[in-house]
Amino acid sequence: MAIFQVNVTIENKPGISDPEGQTILNDLVLKGAHKTVSNIKTAKMLKFTIKEKDKKSAQSKVREICDELRIYNPMVSIVTTDVFEN
Amino acid sequence: MSLEDQELAELKSKIGRDPTPTELQIVAAEWSEHCSYKSSKRHLKMLPMDGPLVINEKGYDSGVLDVGDGYVVTAHIESHNHPSAVEPYGGAATGVGGVIRDILSAGTRPIAIFDGLRFGDIEKDLQARWLFKNAVTGIADYGNCLGIPTIGGEVEFDECYKNYALVDVAALGFGKKENLIKNHAKKGDVVVLMGGSTGRDGIGGSQFASDSLESEDRSAVQIPDPFIEKLIIEAVLQARNDGLIHAMKDLGGGGLSCAISETADALGIGIEMDVDKVHTRESDMTPDEIMVSESQERMLIVTSKTKLKKLEDICKKFRIGCSVIGLVKFGNLVHIKKGKKTVARLSADVVANATLLDLPSKEPSYLKTIESEKKFKPVSDYSKLMMTLLASPNIASKIWVYGQYDHEVGIRTVVKPGTDASVLRLDNGKYLSAKIDGNPKQCYINPREGAIGCFEEACRNVVCTGAKPIGMLDHLQFGNPKDPEIFWTFLESLKGLTDFAKFFKIPCVGGKVSLYNETPAGPIKPTPVIGVIGLIDKKPSVPQKISTGDCLLIVGDTKNELGGSEYFEYVHKFVGGKCPRVDFEDSKKHMKSVLDIIDKNLIKSAHDCSKGGLAVAVSEICMTNQIGCRVSLDKVPGEKLDVDRILFSESHSRYLLSFDKKNISMIEDILKKNKVSFKQIGQFGGGQIQFENDSKLIIDLDLKKAHESWLHALPNLVLHGKKTT
Repeated sequence: MAIFQVNVTIENKPGISDPEGQTILNDLVLKGAHKTVSNIKTAKMLKFTIKEKDKKSAQSKVREICDELRIYNPMVSIVTTDVFEN
Repeated sequence: MSLEDQELAELKSKIGRDPTPTELQIVAAEWSEHCSYKSSKRHLKMLPMDGPLVINEKGYDSGVLDVGDGYVVTAHIESHNHPSAVEPYGGAATGVGGVIRDILSAGTRPIAIFDGLRFGDIEKDLQARWLFKNAVTGIADYGNCLGIPTIGGEVEFDECYKNYALVDVAALGFGKKENLIKNHAKKGDVVVLMGGSTGRDGIGGSQFASDSLESEDRSAVQIPDPFIEKLIIEAVLQARNDGLIHAMKDLGGGGLSCAISETADALGIGIEMDVDKVHTRESDMTPDEIMVSESQERMLIVTSKTKLKKLEDICKKFRIGCSVIGLVKFGNLVHIKKGKKTVARLSADVVANATLLDLPSKEPSYLKTIESEKKFKPVSDYSKLMMTLLASPNIASKIWVYGQYDHEVGIRTVVKPGTDASVLRLDNGKYLSAKIDGNPKQCYINPREGAIGCFEEACRNVVCTGAKPIGMLDHLQFGNPKDPEIFWTFLESLKGLTDFAKFFKIPCVGGKVSLYNETPAGPIKPTPVIGVIGLIDKKPSVPQKISTGDCLLIVGDTKNELGGSEYFEYVHKFVGGKCPRVDFEDSKKHMKSVLDIIDKNLIKSAHDCSKGGLAVAVSEICMTNQIGCRVSLDKVPGEKLDVDRILFSESHSRYLLSFDKKNISMIEDILKKNKVSFKQIGQFGGGQIQFENDSKLIIDLDLKKAHESWLHALPNLVLHGKKTT
């Protein structure tokens, strides 16, 4: 068993509007001198520290927890997970 | 999205050719139950819709009432049931947004929001708890960001909403009569889409709302953006003040398809529009997607070419999108193009007017035996039972809900939520009171009497503030109308509402029908929700603090009517019995008397008896006033009944009046003159809530303990999963 860190990113599905991201883009970033930015999307990240036998099972276990506990609403959001060795 | 076979055949015969794919999408959206009311429209005509105060104009999305001195009040009710059942936060919030734009589209400023929420059994069902919590947050976040107070509503829980949610939102608007939008348009006018960008969200929403919630295809999710909505409100009102709006419509179910075809049909004009001109969120959207997208926070405005520049300047000032998407033409064709290419060309009349159905109806068989009662176990300890009832989700204080809503922003709120109905101050010195009420438990047992009961309860609530009912909104929510038994319950409710509205001369100024409310376990109970708007010419009855020695008087008879009561359903787990019936003559006399008494300033507060009956109503008065009371059940007027029936019967037309002892004779004189059944049943004082029968104490509650339990039961359950006992 080893310790892994799994980052879970929860964001709106593509095509669903993201008022927060749009506001940061239009009212903050584009108001400054950063004209090369074309889009900003907001997301929520949960960082899990988990003890599992390998990377793959750490990732799948976290995924399972998110699905089971309805940590995100599958109607609206998608989740992506990234796993790191601690 | 698709049409049924015979609808497709009908469309083909009407247009004399095969429809294009885009035409098919447009017609499918507009002919859906949600947009066309095809099952219900034929029957809705029975409701009285005219009255001396009603202002009718073509193409209004909300009802308009003249409140004198050149001012009008607008009202509308909508639901967002299907979207809220899959995404409660966004669904409830966008529901608020939709109804507010209906108010706005008449040219009035939204001044109040109401919400009626219904979920499954939150004591057992975790998902119901999740839906409830998030729907409330959604309404709070949206309404609070807009600066519009949420001043009333109701919350109810019933097994029949398992895995589902009913989220009804009503709104009131206020403005000057001269500023009302007179919807009109002439050839050469331009059609402008203002507000948020059009994306892929909510595609097929109205179709989705017209199907049962069984399939896993739940793509119709919309993300709320209250800040854009706020900008739209301000931009539209400025454009209205500057006289820039010829006609206006909000984009709701069915998106552009419905807005364009209904505007063309209502105004008798043709509209030619280009989908390439619509400001979209994604670059690769097809014409079909653009036409039926239900992206939120958008308005359709018709203006002249000369006024366009000013309108664009306003949109620029408020930094909201604004695109000229079409032109008004002669005739009544809806002509949709993509650049130069025609993608749809249909007569507005064909699109906007689906063939109305005449569905069969049949009395449900369950009703034959529903009135017979079973034998209940005798109650050994009424005090204990009362504590349980006060902490039950349907009766417990809803302060956890309305405490999250800003109910005072706009500084119009004179009577705040938590009493019978809230009251708003209007600019002409008058006051407006409004309330929405529903009761699916009673409507299930008797769809007709149950619906009338909801109507009367809403009237009672506004009467308690001293307001005379001037208009009603009906929201009829039922299961699949193709089931004759369900359709029968719909018709019965509608007939009951019509009779009551005609008798009391209260016009129906707006409404909504939501059908196909089905869960995997079956249809919901019939759930009509009735909103009543009342007007106070002089001064509202603001509840005053009750003190020791004050008297308690009940108006109206208590009858053996416990069908659908909380006592039967929550305590005895029994669905059935006799549904309370409203006696129209009595109801009228009682309303008149209570209004007379309030007008003469004789009472400290009036409270109606409803959920939980007399026992709960008296306890509510005691708890909100922090004072004890001793009530004699043997004095309660009505037929001779067992104590449990007197305590918990939910008979209508009953009011509890609390007043200073010195006024008793004047109050009695008014009641006697109006030939009303009444009796002084108790006196306030001390720290105990007590009910006695023939001098024997039946219920003896510690006021503080009861209050504690009633106040905290709901948050304890929702937030901590703890049941209060």
